[in-house]
Amino acid sequence: MPLILPFLAVAGLVLGQYLIWFYAPVEQTMGVIQKIFYLHLPLAWWSLASFFTVFVASALYLLKGKPVYDRLARAACELGVVLASLALISGMLWARPIWNTWWTWDPKLTTTLVMWFIYMSYLLLRSVGPGGAGNAARVSAVLGVVAFLDVPLVFFAARKWRSIHPTVFGGASGGLEPEMLATALVCVAAFGLFWLALLLLRARQLALAARLEALSRQPQIKEF
Amino acid sequence: MDRDLYLFAANAAVWAGLCGYLVFLALRQKALEARCRRLEALGGDA
Repeated sequence: MPLILPFLAVAGLVLGQYLIWFYAPVEQTMGVIQKIFYLHLPLAWWSLASFFTVFVASALYLLKGKPVYDRLARAACELGVVLASLALISGMLWARPIWNTWWTWDPKLTTTLVMWFIYMSYLLLRSVGPGGAGNAARVSAVLGVVAFLDVPLVFFAARKWRSIHPTVFGGASGGLEPEMLATALVCVAAFGLFWLALLLLRARQLALAARLEALSRQPQIKEF
Repeated sequence: MDRDLYLFAANAAVWAGLCGYLVFLALRQKALEARCRRLEALGGDA
């Protein structure tokens, strides 16, 4: 991993915080609570990017059988679940004062929750490891491909079905003020760098763990 | 609860969650390094 990547990510996140609190204007209808948007949007988008990575890496593992793709899928899934959890929590804290409820069974929220459960089950499957490491990787890769069916539903739910969840980009609403758009884009880019740094770090950790596991299975080395 | 408090709570939750994942990664890294050292010591004895 390039050493500059984590530094750029942290600098981007700090800049994003500055823009959120001191640059972006307060929205007229919702007031200051709308600023949750600048965290909620990048978390949601990068969680979807994580699950797309799981899909691509799982498909490549099934096609080529290289363990590097399996490790990438696992790392992306972990990160995706963390980001999706935080997107759900921040969304609930936004919904309570605006919609007067913590949760509603809206298509966008429901498909997101279903997605969260599916990828949690992927992680559970990885931790149980049915039938040894190789079999667990194959079974997880199949789940990683099939699970992706829900991701486009999450993305298009607010656009295609009647939903109270707002669609800011590409929707019928008026869009964002230039200052709001700039803040949102900086936050998305900063979270993207942070996401990439964490993904590479976790994938490298999993590679090291696999190497150590292989070493410890050698007959002349027996761990105590 | 005031809207400012919801905003504060959302921010705190997001950064706590991200810091929690960073702590998890740091602990995993520490455990891997410890295992590496153990294997190196065993390899040196062999």
